[in-house]
Amino acid sequence: MKFCVCIKQVPDVQASVQTGRMVLNAYDASAVEEALVITGDAGGGEIDLVLIGPSSATETIRKALAMGATNAFHLVVEDASSLDSNAIAHMLAEHFKGHTYDAILTGKQSQDTDSGLAGSMLAELLALPYATNAVGLKATGNGLEVTRQGDSGQEIIELPTPCLVSCSNDMNNPRIPSLKGIMAAKRTPITTTEAKTVAPVTLVARTFPPAGREPGVKWEGEPEEMVSQLVQKLQQEAGVL
Amino acid sequence: MDEKFDAIIVGGGIAGLSAAMTLAKGNARFLLIERGEFCGAKNVSGGVLWGSDLAKLVPEYWLETGGIERFVNHRRLTFMDEQSAFSVDFKSEHFNEPPYSGVTVLRAVFDEWLAGKVQAAIDESEHPDESFLATDILVEEVLQENGKVVGIRAGEERFYADCVILAEGVNNLLTRQIGLEKEYVPVDHMGIGVKEVLKLDSKRLEDRFQLRGRSGLTNEFVGFCSEGVEGGGFLYTNSDSISLGLVLGLKDLKAKEKTPYDILNTFKEHPAVADMISGAETVEYSAHAVSTGNIKALPSELYADGVLIAGEAAHLLLNAGKAIQGMDYAMRSGILAAETVIEAKKANDYTSGMLKNYRSALENSYVLKDMRSFQDAVHLLHQPNMFGAVPNMICDFGRQFFTISGEETPKASKMMHAAIKRNASYWDLVKLGLKGARAL
Amino acid sequence: MIEMNSILVVLSVQDGRIKRSSFEALSRAVAVGGQHGLTVNAVILHSNASKLAAEASKYGASKIFCFEDRVFDSHLNAPLLAGLETAIEKIQPRLVVAASMESIKDVWGALAIRVDAAVLPDVASFDVNGDAVVCERPVMAAKVMAAVSSSHPRVLVSVRSGSYEATESGGESSIETVPFEMSSQTLSATLKEIVTTTGDQVDLSEAKVVVAAGRGVKDASGKALVDELASILGAAIGASRAVVETGLFPATAQIGQTGKVVSPELYFAIGISGAIQHVAGMSNSKIIVAINKDADAPIFDVATYGLVGDCFKILPLLNAELRKALS
Ligand SMILES: Cc1cc2nc3c(=O)[nH]c(=O)nc-3n(C[C@H](O)[C@H](O)[C@H](O)COP(=O)(O)OP(=O)(O)OC[C@H]3O[C@@H](n4cnc5c(N)ncnc54)[C@H](O)[C@@H]3O)c2cc1C
Ligand SMILES: Cc1cc2nc3c(=O)[nH]c(=O)nc-3n(C[C@H](O)[C@H](O)[C@H](O)COP(=O)(O)OP(=O)(O)OC[C@H]3O[C@@H](n4cnc5c(N)ncnc54)[C@H](O)[C@@H]3O)c2cc1C
Ligand SMILES: Nc1ncnc2c1ncn2[C@@H]1O[C@H](COP(=O)(O)O)[C@@H](O)[C@H]1O
Repeated sequence: MKFCVCIKQVPDVQASVQTGRMVLNAYDASAVEEALVITGDAGGGEIDLVLIGPSSATETIRKALAMGATNAFHLVVEDASSLDSNAIAHMLAEHFKGHTYDAILTGKQSQDTDSGLAGSMLAELLALPYATNAVGLKATGNGLEVTRQGDSGQEIIELPTPCLVSCSNDMNNPRIPSLKGIMAAKRTPITTTEAKTVAPVTLVARTFPPAGREPGVKWEGEPEEMVSQLVQKLQQEAGVL
Repeated sequence: MDEKFDAIIVGGGIAGLSAAMTLAKGNARFLLIERGEFCGAKNVSGGVLWGSDLAKLVPEYWLETGGIERFVNHRRLTFMDEQSAFSVDFKSEHFNEPPYSGVTVLRAVFDEWLAGKVQAAIDESEHPDESFLATDILVEEVLQENGKVVGIRAGEERFYADCVILAEGVNNLLTRQIGLEKEYVPVDHMGIGVKEVLKLDSKRLEDRFQLRGRSGLTNEFVGFCSEGVEGGGFLYTNSDSISLGLVLGLKDLKAKEKTPYDILNTFKEHPAVADMISGAETVEYSAHAVSTGNIKALPSELYADGVLIAGEAAHLLLNAGKAIQGMDYAMRSGILAAETVIEAKKANDYTSGMLKNYRSALENSYVLKDMRSFQDAVHLLHQPNMFGAVPNMICDFGRQFFTISGEETPKASKMMHAAIKRNASYWDLVKLGLKGARAL
Repeated sequence: MIEMNSILVVLSVQDGRIKRSSFEALSRAVAVGGQHGLTVNAVILHSNASKLAAEASKYGASKIFCFEDRVFDSHLNAPLLAGLETAIEKIQPRLVVAASMESIKDVWGALAIRVDAAVLPDVASFDVNGDAVVCERPVMAAKVMAAVSSSHPRVLVSVRSGSYEATESGGESSIETVPFEMSSQTLSATLKEIVTTTGDQVDLSEAKVVVAAGRGVKDASGKALVDELASILGAAIGASRAVVETGLFPATAQIGQTGKVVSPELYFAIGISGAIQHVAGMSNSKIIVAINKDADAPIFDVATYGLVGDCFKILPLLNAELRKALS
């Protein structure tokens, strides 16, 4: 099967000191992993990557290539910070006009904006059947079988190809590139083009820290004592029991 | 194996990256392997990178916005007892212009920045596609054939090179694996460093510490900061945070049954420190082993057939009281190791006979010269008096000297005399004084 | 009939009921509509829509449109998309609001393209300001809040559960059934199977009390202690990703960035370290009790009451004490 995975470079939200370090969106890493597993199991296939972002994002493309992807397209936008999911979806759709795949995979959301829109927007623009929040994926011969996490359980859906699937990180644990993978990735040519940007329809006016929580209390010591203190608090002050 | 490198560097810390930069500029083909998710991810050390080697690796680095935090133009050494702090303070415009002789860094930022510079140097070298920086990979074994180091193993993968530079830092498992150091490191050669990064917005930070532009302050502490445990404290200013921590002797810590974490908390509560960090929020806590810089701790040799040891993996570090010098030693030794490899490549000779040039280069550099000449100072720092009696006495004297009470004021010499009497015996101090004079 | 100046609220149905979070969204829409002179209508797409509309009619919508067809119960996105498209074409709202849940997240992006709308997803609050729709939403795994706006002529908003109170208005909505037909032949995707895991347990996102377990709970014996605590308190059971991954808890119990967002009165975090991705889903809980044997675990930074200790020692005592206190 021929896959294309849309990958994004995001700030490392987990870094303890804000280093400004950029990483591969964790959900996209899961999408790459899943494509690798499927093409690996089926004994063949190709995995292309496409990323919209600044030149410095090649590092992220190399990381995904090092996992084992085949080719990469880098649509360069030096300042992509104001592009919303809508703009990204339109730009990706433009790119896919010239390339066909059995399946396009996206992450279920961007770790930085937590929007979760670009995948299904892109599917609609390309008029592809799609499924979101996939936690499992299988090739069935004439399509893909997607297990998606719904509100009250898992839904197993058959999609004919070509289609689009947005992937949850609960799908798998992405592999860590091997040394050979890292070396091969560095030698893989990346097709780079200047991207034509599309105007966003939403605007981030400002960001601010969330309202902090009241500082709490922390007990250490004998379990009996801590438990009776807690029950007392919950009954009296908190009044929830 | 189709691929054989001129060199494989294990460890993407200061020593490894400095070696890599030198190799890239020398057009060597190399592979650097770092086990952290990125260079700097696992490095907690705080602090000040002394010396001017950084400018050799990255010319005019001070013109850039990334990488370093602040230039050190203000230094302070503080003696403290439970209530007081007596400081020797030096600030100079001489320190405030390039080439700077000290910069504060946060390793998670600095190492990755330096790695970016190395990558750029690779891209500009003669073999842009034949040298690699690989992260998130643990080297598990150094491969040897007929007593000669020939490569490394990471997981199932083996890679070969004419020469391996071990720059793995103080937890030097591989150095021990190839027998250059004993399995067991005596505790008195080891210390533990603990550090917090406290966030404070740059405006408040600059006002509080009287900083201008990118200038910065370093403050070392002796005495109550370590609660009598051998060691000392430090406070360094970053762009918009403060690095605060302690380096403590492992043996003494064990003997006194104290935990570094508790001592750090007491240190933070000392009025002199509390005032400096008030309103700053702890965003990171970390602990890391650190060598005490005892020359006796050096590996039996710093090279063997096909291998060189650089940085703290070789226990190259000096802590003689006025500063910790681990990063600059790592940088210089990494550079010298790489220069040796480039020479070896020219001669196509990677035997110990050739690689011993690394040892001579280190002996001729300030690294081993200073480590040798300041050994007495290092030992002096291990005298129990240095962490109790001496700082107490200095603070006691300070309290008398700066008190104006409306009573007749005794002469300073008399105050000194009284302070000494209260805090230490003359004889001990005379001994310490004599040692000190010789050591420095 | 066509009102360009209206708000349309999508009332989502799960397990045969309208979700409380849908009423929260509707209540907010009614408040915003009242302030800005916008009519508020609602739509239900379900085989049983008109019966459900009766229950919904006390929350203040002017009119509830019922799209009644079995195809909506299929869990597939194509019918929901087609139904919502028809509703929006018919009603022409300025603003479309829904509770943020998986079935809505599944279609919101595609719907926006289809009806030419901008989207403000997963918001903690929203309002209308002149010709713009404005909102505040958590970003960066809820470490940062962003104020986002859109002046697009049509905006879709999805609201995080627990962001607003569901309040009855006193009035009653009129109900209109809209004929809708979609042949299952036109569906390209097919649903093979649904593996339901919630059953008759308390619904997480609506629960007043949540007991959540993490890796510290270890195994079935730990899970039994957690289950017991939940049953004493009548609480819903949540979980961290770590214990969903091991299979100890179902994926529907996962709370956090990838899972559900909860905001109960009382939240127990048992053996949960407090990674930002987990905290992102529970930090709006009123009271947080954390039990963790590591005194430095980040969960204690958000906990109202923190107990440092082994949950295997604490839970049996706590269960006994609570039984006593509640009897
Ligand atoms: C709290 C504290 C404060 C300090 N303050 C100062 C200061 O102010 N000034 C100063 O000059 N020095 C300071 N030091 C000392 C200084 O940090 C070290 O001496 C210096 O970092 C040594 O550099 P290095 O490159 O040799 O080792 P490191 O910086 O430790 O780098 C070694 C690297 O190798 C990697 N590695 C190890 N093993 C493997 C493996 N098997 N496979 C792959 N990768 C591996 C590690 O992940 C690491 O990144 C301080 C130390 C501490 C603990
Ligand atoms: C993109 C992304 C999305 C994610 N989304 C989610 C999400 O939606 N939800 C989520 O939960 N995670 C999510 N994660 C994972 C998250 O980062 C953490 O890995 C996860 O939350 C850890 O679960 P935990 O706290 O149970 O396990 P651990 O981090 O392993 O913590 C276990 C805790 O239990 C304590 N403990 C152990 N034994 C005992 C005992 N006997 N008594 C008391 N305490 C004990 C330990 O001290 C420790 O603090 C996501 C990660 C990524 C990268
Ligand atoms: N700049 C980008 N380049 C390529 N794909 C992207 C980009 N931004 C978002 N995506 C894809 O869209 C998904 C997330 O959508 P959203 O949360 O709407 O940003 C990601 O997981 C990617 O698969």
